Amino acid sequence: MKGMCPECEGEVTIPEDAQSGEILVCPDCGIELELTSLDPIQLSLAPKEAEDWGE
Amino acid sequence: MMSTYETLTGLVERFSPTHYEAEAVAWLVGRMLSLGFASARTDEAGNAVGTIGEGPNQIVLLGHIDTVPGKIPVRVENGILHGRGAVDAKGPLAAFVDAAAQTGLVPGWQIVVIGAVDEEGDSAGAWHAAARYHPRYAIIGEPSGWNRIALGYRGIVRFRFQARQTIGHSAAGRDSVCEMAVDFWNRLVEFCARENRAAERKFDQLTPVLQEMHSAGDGFVEKGEMSGNVRLPQRIAPERIKDVLREAAAGIGTVETEGIPLNAFRVEKSTPVVGSLLSGIRSLGGDPSFSLKLGTSDLSIVGPAWNCPMAVYGPGDSTFDHTPGECISLEEYGKAAAVLVGVLKRLTAAVR
Repeated sequence: MKGMCPECEGEVTIPEDAQSGEILVCPDCGIELELTSLDPIQLSLAPKEAEDWGE
Repeated sequence: MMSTYETLTGLVERFSPTHYEAEAVAWLVGRMLSLGFASARTDEAGNAVGTIGEGPNQIVLLGHIDTVPGKIPVRVENGILHGRGAVDAKGPLAAFVDAAAQTGLVPGWQIVVIGAVDEEGDSAGAWHAAARYHPRYAIIGEPSGWNRIALGYRGIVRFRFQARQTIGHSAAGRDSVCEMAVDFWNRLVEFCARENRAAERKFDQLTPVLQEMHSAGDGFVEKGEMSGNVRLPQRIAPERIKDVLREAAAGIGTVETEGIPLNAFRVEKSTPVVGSLLSGIRSLGGDPSFSLKLGTSDLSIVGPAWNCPMAVYGPGDSTFDHTPGECISLEEYGKAAAVLVGVLKRLTAAVR
């Protein structure tokens, strides 16, 4: 399975056993992606990491 | 979506500051049995432990049942439950219990829910659990928010500095014990500032916190004391900070560390646990995000011990942690419990 990086439009290989929510890395631009849909394949930019002072 | 809040309200109604958790633990053990857990008991550390199922694969859901002091009248107003521990962290713990009960028995899997004691103290409950379980997956209960996943916490070293000297006249020109304590503090702050120069995120920075200082004399000897802590990023181990504290105190006083120092810890993102949470949040219409926590939690204890895919998750707004206005939205609680049911079903479906 293949998907397209929404950042650089590079080709991203989706593992056969991938599940929605999986975090992948674009081999071209290195950005983190989230597999948000398997049918059809849809890749989105992975959620950003925010800081939070709490527990 | 969960339609009952009895687990949550029952837990919050039983005030359980650190070292006084027994009544809440006993109630939770009974609650888990009434919800259909195969077994529930109080373990040797005083934790409430409930299990569903048997098998080679284990999921541990670890929350904490103790709270900070300060009883808050328990009430529900406009869909918001007010009470000590509502958000930190009985909300996440109750959501674990309700979600595990709703998931029920899955062949080949054991789901373990732990309500750990002493998290706001020295984490005796988590240390006990860390040595006794070997989960395939784990989720730690803290109030990340129903649509947010916490990935990491900073570490901590707590310290107490002391300076002593014979009393002299204040016009004699030598430093007082108070000035010696300030010197120690300034050295520590300078070290942290140097280390933080290249670190943009607070998660990657050292944060020294001065919590208490006082001085006293008996007419012959004067004594100055200062206590506080240093929050640690992943790249700096507690042993390094112990050395720094000793260097800062050299020539002016003595310093001791208190409690058990903890390393910072962050989980991997590319795991079935994080993926299941992301997918579960999206399935309820949420827009998930990740957070890096600047505080410290039981994750730093069980993370290295269990060394398995894990995440920190639970309902609630952590800005209410430890505040007099501690509260949690019942709607948010229901959403988090529903996310957790989906996560448990997906994780247990993938491996049999």
